[in-house]
Amino acid sequence: MTTPGSTAPPLTTLTLGAALNAGLRQAMADDDTVMLVGEDIGRLGGVFRVTAGLQDAFGADRVVDSLLAESGIVGTAIGLALRGYRPVCEIQFDGFVYPAFDQIVSQLAKMRARSNGRLSLPVTIRIPVGGGIGAVEHHSESNEAYFCHTAGLRVVACASPADAHWMIQQAVACDDPVIFYEPKQRYWDKADVAVGPVPGSAPGLGAARLARQGDDATLIAYGPTVRTALDAATVAAGEGRSYEVIDLRSLSPIDLPLLERSVRKTGRAVVIHEAPSFVGLGAEIAAALTERCFTALEAPVQRVCGYNVPYPPARAERLYLPDIDRVLDAVDATFSY
Amino acid sequence: MAEINQFRLPDVGEGLTEAEIVAWRVAVGDTVLTNDTLVEVETAKAVVELPSPFPGTVLALLAEAGQTVQVGTPIVAIGDPAAVPAAPAAAAPEAAVPEAAVPEAAVPEERPEVLVGYGPTRTTVARRPRRSPAVPVPGRPGVPASRRPLAPPPVRKLARNLGVDLTTVEPTGTRGHVTRQDVQQASENRRPGRPAGPGAPPAEIRTPIQGIRKRTAAAVVASAFTAPHVTEWLTVDVKRSLRLLETLRDDPSYRDVRLTPLLLIARAVLHALAAHPEANASWRADTNEIVQFRDVNLGIAAATPRGLVVPNIPAANRLTARALAAALAELTATARAGKTTTERLRHGTFTITNFGVFGVDGATPILNPGEAAILGVGRIAERPWAHKGKVRLRPVLTLALSFDHRLVDGELGSELLAHIGRLLERPELSIVT
Amino acid sequence: MTGQLLHPQAAAGSAREEGETSEALPGLLAADGTLRSSPGLSLDVTPRLACGLYRDMVLGRRLDQEAYHLQRQGELGLWLSCRGQEAAQVGSIRGLNDGDYVFPSYREQAAALCRGIDPAGLLAQWRGCSHSGWDPTAHNFHIYSLVLATQLLHATGYALGVARDRKRDPLIDDIVLVYFGDGAASQGDANEAFNWAAASNAPVIFFCQNNQWAISTPSSAQSSTRLHQRAEGFGLRSALVDGNDVLGVHAATRAAAASVRAGGRPAFIEAVTYRMAGHSTSDNPDIYREADEVARWQARDPIVRLRALLDARGWAEPGFYQALESEADALAAQTREACLALPPPRLEDTFRNTFAAEPASLREEREGYTTYQESFDDHAR
Repeated sequence: MTTPGSTAPPLTTLTLGAALNAGLRQAMADDDTVMLVGEDIGRLGGVFRVTAGLQDAFGADRVVDSLLAESGIVGTAIGLALRGYRPVCEIQFDGFVYPAFDQIVSQLAKMRARSNGRLSLPVTIRIPVGGGIGAVEHHSESNEAYFCHTAGLRVVACASPADAHWMIQQAVACDDPVIFYEPKQRYWDKADVAVGPVPGSAPGLGAARLARQGDDATLIAYGPTVRTALDAATVAAGEGRSYEVIDLRSLSPIDLPLLERSVRKTGRAVVIHEAPSFVGLGAEIAAALTERCFTALEAPVQRVCGYNVPYPPARAERLYLPDIDRVLDAVDATFSY
Repeated sequence: MAEINQFRLPDVGEGLTEAEIVAWRVAVGDTVLTNDTLVEVETAKAVVELPSPFPGTVLALLAEAGQTVQVGTPIVAIGDPAAVPAAPAAAAPEAAVPEAAVPEAAVPEERPEVLVGYGPTRTTVARRPRRSPAVPVPGRPGVPASRRPLAPPPVRKLARNLGVDLTTVEPTGTRGHVTRQDVQQASENRRPGRPAGPGAPPAEIRTPIQGIRKRTAAAVVASAFTAPHVTEWLTVDVKRSLRLLETLRDDPSYRDVRLTPLLLIARAVLHALAAHPEANASWRADTNEIVQFRDVNLGIAAATPRGLVVPNIPAANRLTARALAAALAELTATARAGKTTTERLRHGTFTITNFGVFGVDGATPILNPGEAAILGVGRIAERPWAHKGKVRLRPVLTLALSFDHRLVDGELGSELLAHIGRLLERPELSIVT
Repeated sequence: MTGQLLHPQAAAGSAREEGETSEALPGLLAADGTLRSSPGLSLDVTPRLACGLYRDMVLGRRLDQEAYHLQRQGELGLWLSCRGQEAAQVGSIRGLNDGDYVFPSYREQAAALCRGIDPAGLLAQWRGCSHSGWDPTAHNFHIYSLVLATQLLHATGYALGVARDRKRDPLIDDIVLVYFGDGAASQGDANEAFNWAAASNAPVIFFCQNNQWAISTPSSAQSSTRLHQRAEGFGLRSALVDGNDVLGVHAATRAAAASVRAGGRPAFIEAVTYRMAGHSTSDNPDIYREADEVARWQARDPIVRLRALLDARGWAEPGFYQALESEADALAAQTREACLALPPPRLEDTFRNTFAAEPASLREEREGYTTYQESFDDHAR
C-alpha cells in the first residue's frame, strides 16, 4: 500500500500484458514466498510475454519453467502452498486447463473446507481466455462457468490494463485460491496505469466496476466483452441513448449490489460474454437480477453470448463472438416490451 | 443397572437395505463381550459376521435364521438378565421373546440401493413442524429507493394498456411497488374526460359506472333501503372540551399525541356505548338474530383519493386515550395514502363521520352497512348561546345520530346521543359516570 | 457364488508371486521369524528397536480391528482396513524423522498412530462427521486423499518447497514421504509426479504399498512392468522390499531417507505386502480371490514373524506382552468411546470453512440457511 501523503505514482502507458507483468513484478518484490510456475514462462517470458524479464529479475528458483503437465503444475503448486509458498501458476491456454481440472476442483477448491479450515492454499492460476485472435482450436475457450460453479474458488477476469495491474496483485495476496482470467485478445490494449502497489483506495477483488455511466440500460460484461460493451455504448450515444456499462471483474462471487443499483436505475439489463449462453454466467446474473429487481425491470434480462456450439474455426469466429450489433439489438429488444 | 440394549441391523455396505440371517452364533442366555460375533448375515454384496456392540447377556434373538430383515430392524436384545421379567422357557433359542421387555420393532424407512454412502433416506411425506413462519424477504437493506416507479412486468404492461402513467399511481404493494389493483383503480379514478383541444365543451360527459364508485353506491343503497334510518340531532357547547385539549397540549405526557376534537368525540362515543351496549350491535337477517358486540370496532369515515372508505380501529374501547389518538392518526394517514388494508375495512361496529371538515353544520348520515348507528359530526362554530344565564358566543357543535330503528328504538338512540353530548359539554362527568 | 477369477492374469500373478516368496524379496526378517541379510539393506537390529516396532504394529492392528467392528455395528459408514500392511507402514514411518512430512492415501492407520494421531480423528471421516480428522501440521501427516494418486503431486510440490527452504537455510534437512498403492500407480497424476520429482530432484520418497489388489484388479494386471522397475525408468532411486518384513522396510526407508536427505535423487520403494481384508467393508473379496492365496499370505503375517523373532531371542521383557495387550485393549475402548462421541457436523461450519475471507454473498446465504433452520420446531438451539 502507498504511504499516506506520498505523491501518487506517475501514470505509464502500458499494454494489458505489460500491466500484468508489472503487477507480478510488484507482487514478487513485496513477498518472497511468491513464485511463478508455468510452461515457457521463464526463459521465453510466456507465449504472450506476460512474464518477460521476471526470471532475470527474480531467478529461476522463483520463476520456474515447469514440465509440460498441467495437472502437475497445479498439483505441485498445492504442495508448495502447503509448505508455505504462494505459487502463481500459468496455464498456457484456456483449452489446456482441463487436465488440471481435478486438481483445481477436487483439491484446490476443497482443501480448506475438508481440513475444517486448517489448510490454506493461496494459489493463483492465471489463464489467458477467450477468442478473437484467429487461433486454432482449443485456444479460444471460455470455461469460467465450470470454475464459478465450484464452491471454494474465487474467479476473476481483468478487462483493462489499470485493473489488471491491481487485480493480479490482489489475487496473489488473496489467501483463497483464485482463477485469474486474462482476455488474450486484449493483451495488446494500451492504457495509462499507475504502476506500483495497490493503494488502499482501490476497489476490492470482489468489486465490479462502473466503466461508463448511463441511464437507459445496463450492459454487464467481463474480460474481453467489456470493450465490446463500451463500443456499443459509444455507438448508442450517437443515436441518443445512454447506456451504463459495468465491468463485472469478479465472476465468483458476483458484486450483485452494484448490479442491482444500476438495474434499478435503468430498468434494463444485458449480459455479454463469449462463453456459450447455456448455463453461462449470464444465466446466473439474469436469475439473480430477476429475484432482486423484479419490480424494477422493464424487460427480461437479455444475454448476448457465444452460440451453443464448439468454438468455430478462426475465419468464422467473428460470426460467433458477441459484437456491437448483437449487443445493440439486445438492448433495443428491451425497449419493445 | 437394568439395561437392555437392542442391536438393529446396520447397513454394512454403503446403501444396503436388508440382509438375510444365515446363522446365529450365540444363544439366549449366553454371555458376550463387546465385539464377540453374534450372527452371520448375508447381504447383496457379501456374507458378513456382525459383532456385538455391547457386553452382556443375550436376552432375545429377534430374527430367525433364514429370515430377511430390513436395515434398522432390531435383531437381538442384550443386557442385564435382571431387567427382564420371567421369560417363557425357550425350546428353540431363536423363538424366545421375553414379555414386555422388548419394544416393538420399528418399521425402518425404505431406502433404495445405492453404491456409495448411507444412501438416501426417504423422509416422511409431511411438513417439518414450524416454530415461526418462513421468513418472507423484506426489502433489502442498503438498497436505495428507486426514482422510477416499481411494478412487476405484467403490471407495467397493464398500465401501458390502460394508459396509466405509473409515476402518478400511489403504490400499495408490500415491496413498495404498484400493484395490479393500484393500476386498475388509478384507471377508474381518472377524472371523467376533460374537454380536449380547442372548441366548445361537449354537451355531455360519460363515465362508466365501475370500480369503487359502483361498490360504494351499492353499499349505500343497501344500507339506506334496508335499515329504517332515524336521525336525531343535538347541538352542544364544546368549550370545555376544547379547553381540555388545550390543557392536554401543555401536558408533557401528551407531547407526541395528536390532540383533536375527534379524539374527545371518539372517547365520548365509546363511553356512551359502554353504557348502552345494545347500540353496538348488528341486525343479521340471514341468521335471524341481532348480534351485540363486546368490543367497539370504531370506524372513521374518510374521504380519500380513491373514494369514501371507512377503516376501523379494532377494540377501540380497550385503548387508552393516548393509544386511541395514535390509532386515529395512523388510520387517517393510511387512508389518505390510499394504503388501508381490506382487513381494516371489515368488522366495524360503530362509525363516526365528520362532515364538519367540509364546513357544514349537520347531515343525515347513512349507516355503514351492518352497523346499528352512526354519529355524524358537523363543524365547530361560534354561535350565540345560553351560558350561565347570559347570551355568549360559544363554540357549538351539532351531532347527528342516525340509527337502525329495527334494533335501536327512539329511547335508546336518544339516550345514546344525549350521553355523548353531555360528555362533550362537560368532559369531567366521565369521572363519575 | 464361489470365487470367480475375473482376470486371467490373476493366475499368472499368483504364479509370479510364488516365485517371490519372502526369500526372493529383499528383506531382513523371513516369514518364519529368522533374521537374514539382503544386499543394500543394513540395520542394527536391537531388542529395543524390535519391541518398539512390534508394539506399533500390534496397536495399529488393534485400532484397525476395533474400527472394523464399529463399522459392522453401524457406527461407521465405511472402513478401509490395513490389516496385513502394518509392517509396510510402521517400518517406513519409523524410518523417518518427525519433521519429515508424510502424505498418506486413505489406508495408513498404522502409520498415523505412529505420528500420534488420535484414533477418533482417524474415524471421523468414515463416520460421516467430517472430511478430515486431524491437524496435518501438528503431526506432519497430511489429511487423507481419496482421489487416487492426487497426493503424489502434492508431495512432490511440497518437497520442492522443502528444497527451496533448504537453499535459504542449509540446516533444514527434512524430506517428504508419500504413500500410495499399486492401483494408484496407474494414474496420470502418479506418473506426472514420478517424472516431475525426478526431473526436478525433489526430496521425496514415493512409498508404494503393493498390496496386490486394487479392489478386484490384481497388481499383475495393473502394470506391464514391475513398479520398482518403472520407477527406475523415471530416474528414481528405486528399491524393492518384502513389505511384511518390518525390519527390511525400516532399513530400506532409512537408506532412502538418508540418500534423499543428502541431496540424492528422489526415491521409490515398492513394498510387497497383502491386503488381508477387502478393499473396504462394502467389498466382498471372496468373489475375486482364492482362499488359498489369502492363506499363503496369512503365513507371512508381519506381526507373527516378528513375535517369533522376539521369542526366539528372548527380547521381550517380562510382562511386555501383557502390558501391550492391556494397552491395546485400552486403545480399543478409547477408540470406541471416542467414535460414539464424535459430534455431528454443522453445515454452518462448512460455510465458514469454505473461504479464508467470506464473500458477502456467501455470508448472506449462510445467514439465510441459519434463519431457515431456526424456523423449525425441532431445531436444536
